[in-house]
Amino acid sequence: MESNRTSETLEPTEGAPTLSGRRPNPQWEQYKRTFYFLRRNRLAMFGLIIVLLFVAIAAYSPFYPGPGDRLATYCSSATIVGTNSSCAVVVCTYPIGSTPTGSPCYSYAFGEPSVIAPTIDLSHFTLGPLPLGSLTVDPSAGVMYNIATGLIKGAPWSLGIAAAVVGTGALVGLLLGALAGYSGGYMDETIMRFTDIFLAIPGLFLVLVTLSALGSRFSTLDGRIGILIVAFVITWWPLYTRIVRGQVLVTREQKYVEAARASGARSGRILRKHIIPNSLYPVFVQLSLDIGTIPLLLGAIIFLGYQIWPSIYFPEWGTMSAQAVTNLSAFLLQCAIAGTTTPCVFPWWQIFFPGITLFLFCISVNFLSDGLRDALDPRLRR
Amino acid sequence: MWIYIVRRLLLVVPVIIGVMTIVFILVSLIPPSTRIAIYLGPLARNCKPGLPCWNNARNAIGLNQPLPAQWGIYIWNSLTLHWGYTNPSSEASIGAQLGHTSYPVASVLSWYLPYTLELAFFALIIILVVSIPLGNLSAVYRNRPLDQGARVLSFSGYALPGFLLASIVLLAAVALSGGYAPTCHGLSYYFDNWFGSWPDPACIPGTPSTLPSWIGPHLETSPTGFPTIDALIHWNTPGGPYLVEQSLQRMLLPALVIAYGYIASILRFVRNSMLEVMNLDFVRTARAKGVPERQVINRHAGRNSLNVTVTVLGLTFAFFITGFPIIEDVFHLRGIGYLLALSIQPEPDFGIIFGSTLLLTLIVVAANIIVDVTYAYLDPRVRLG
Repeated sequence: MESNRTSETLEPTEGAPTLSGRRPNPQWEQYKRTFYFLRRNRLAMFGLIIVLLFVAIAAYSPFYPGPGDRLATYCSSATIVGTNSSCAVVVCTYPIGSTPTGSPCYSYAFGEPSVIAPTIDLSHFTLGPLPLGSLTVDPSAGVMYNIATGLIKGAPWSLGIAAAVVGTGALVGLLLGALAGYSGGYMDETIMRFTDIFLAIPGLFLVLVTLSALGSRFSTLDGRIGILIVAFVITWWPLYTRIVRGQVLVTREQKYVEAARASGARSGRILRKHIIPNSLYPVFVQLSLDIGTIPLLLGAIIFLGYQIWPSIYFPEWGTMSAQAVTNLSAFLLQCAIAGTTTPCVFPWWQIFFPGITLFLFCISVNFLSDGLRDALDPRLRR
Repeated sequence: MWIYIVRRLLLVVPVIIGVMTIVFILVSLIPPSTRIAIYLGPLARNCKPGLPCWNNARNAIGLNQPLPAQWGIYIWNSLTLHWGYTNPSSEASIGAQLGHTSYPVASVLSWYLPYTLELAFFALIIILVVSIPLGNLSAVYRNRPLDQGARVLSFSGYALPGFLLASIVLLAAVALSGGYAPTCHGLSYYFDNWFGSWPDPACIPGTPSTLPSWIGPHLETSPTGFPTIDALIHWNTPGGPYLVEQSLQRMLLPALVIAYGYIASILRFVRNSMLEVMNLDFVRTARAKGVPERQVINRHAGRNSLNVTVTVLGLTFAFFITGFPIIEDVFHLRGIGYLLALSIQPEPDFGIIFGSTLLLTLIVVAANIIVDVTYAYLDPRVRLG
């Protein structure tokens, strides 16, 4: 920065040519400094690496051989396990790494919950840990799926849904919060009372009520996922609105805003150039925190019995662990009713791998968000 | 102080009306026939579309009128606790639970609510007892192993899905207390010991093989309705002490699991506010005067950071309530959350879904008022400002 001061330009506008070439972008310098502070925080770096790893897995997922993540997939030797009204539920058996060929089968190949739950066969649990590299099918016990495949195929769903919810929620919150905080008065009161109303309803309840009232209206998978995202956004936007508004109220009184106003800048420009960029960091922190929470909440909803997509199992981390826990509960009840421990080998792997994935994701997102808060807030940089 | 309380109560009215409006918007999106069935309740069995009683019901909830009139009727019905009837269908889990009879939603909720409130009470006690001292210690020993350990521990509670943790805890409790070996009534004794709100009558040791008469047919207890308190009141009746012990034991694990998930956020706030207070001038003055360090932390800093904790408890109460359906569902603990879980699948019971949302929102609002009044009591600047 110092060397550029030598340039003789009277009014250094952005990107103006100087004697030594181009001026460094101050925004970029800011990012570099933030990253420097972030790098010093070991937990945050751990979080960042894990999150990037998950993003990489999600990006790689479509190329991963295995049952497709959408409706059609091809398999060499298909076993028909059961049928639903529209198509046969087909499960593919082929080793991981081979290229699937053959006739299309219309399922995620993740099984049918209605098949899994009621017909649990205790002998099925004595198999011991499933090898992670193969897909095993036991028609009498419902469908078993490969956990590793499920987790990899589920990554884009988990990350995608979380990002969609958080992105939309933050955008709505940013607009409304900035409007409320900057204009004040009547507008502020109206928006904030609306926010209070939404915040008073417990989150999970609002999501569930919205889903059960609207869910049955949509019969396509895209529609169901869309309504799921809408239900989450309805629950999440007030949180961001409140955060942004609080921050804007503080920013609005700063000297640089006053200076901008004194030099004749219009409201829109002040909002766009000064207030919103300076109110962003708490949103960013909350946003990164919520990305970790949403898969957990999604799992909770599935666990409580809401079906995103009736009769076909949906590959998503929260859903997978909810399904595993449901299986486990059924198994537990069977053991409890039988009153004996002999046939009950605890199928820990079903619950462990999805659980540890969710846990790792959520905790690393938490560490990252904590680190971001420290790095972005100048007062905490000590 | 009274003026503050009255002002605070008046502010709540638009929030309640607003919440009811949101629920009304969602209610108006479900099929009209379902709405009429919820309104008719037990009469719906003999009342088919086209009959006079059907039309009367349709007119009573305003389906022949424009939306604003429907809204008015809905708000009035909600305020007068006419929340409709439960779904008696055998397809609905709740219908099976209630013996295929249609009950008013408000009374069903009143049977289940005390269990939730008691669970919330126990969980809050655990949270406060753990997170306030631990948060203060975390701030005092900032960035030392104790602080980092406490934070990692609380983070892990936050990052584990509640249903997963609860199931594992239940499994571990059964395994550690004796496994599945002895059975009563076809169910493992130790499993039954941790599962449900009351023991299976067959599992009660001694002669009486039924639950006492103060536990009603829907497990509503008398006279107060709160299970543990009622059990304490009936301490001297046969089996009384056993039921007190059982009631507490069955609350213990769910309360622990809920608290574990919630401690992280409270701990973080306690730690941050304590850190902030410890940098203030009066703390430095106290230290400079030679007040012992323990006293500085307990008396000067600790008390002043408590205000923030009270606020945070209130602000995050809605999040706290969110964890209940899952935990109650895993442990089959009677409560609003369990009721909600029952009413989602396989056939939804919209009366319960809307009613429980409304009820828990009212509880959250009430909790917020209590917190605000407490805060105003603790900090005069709030009530005078």
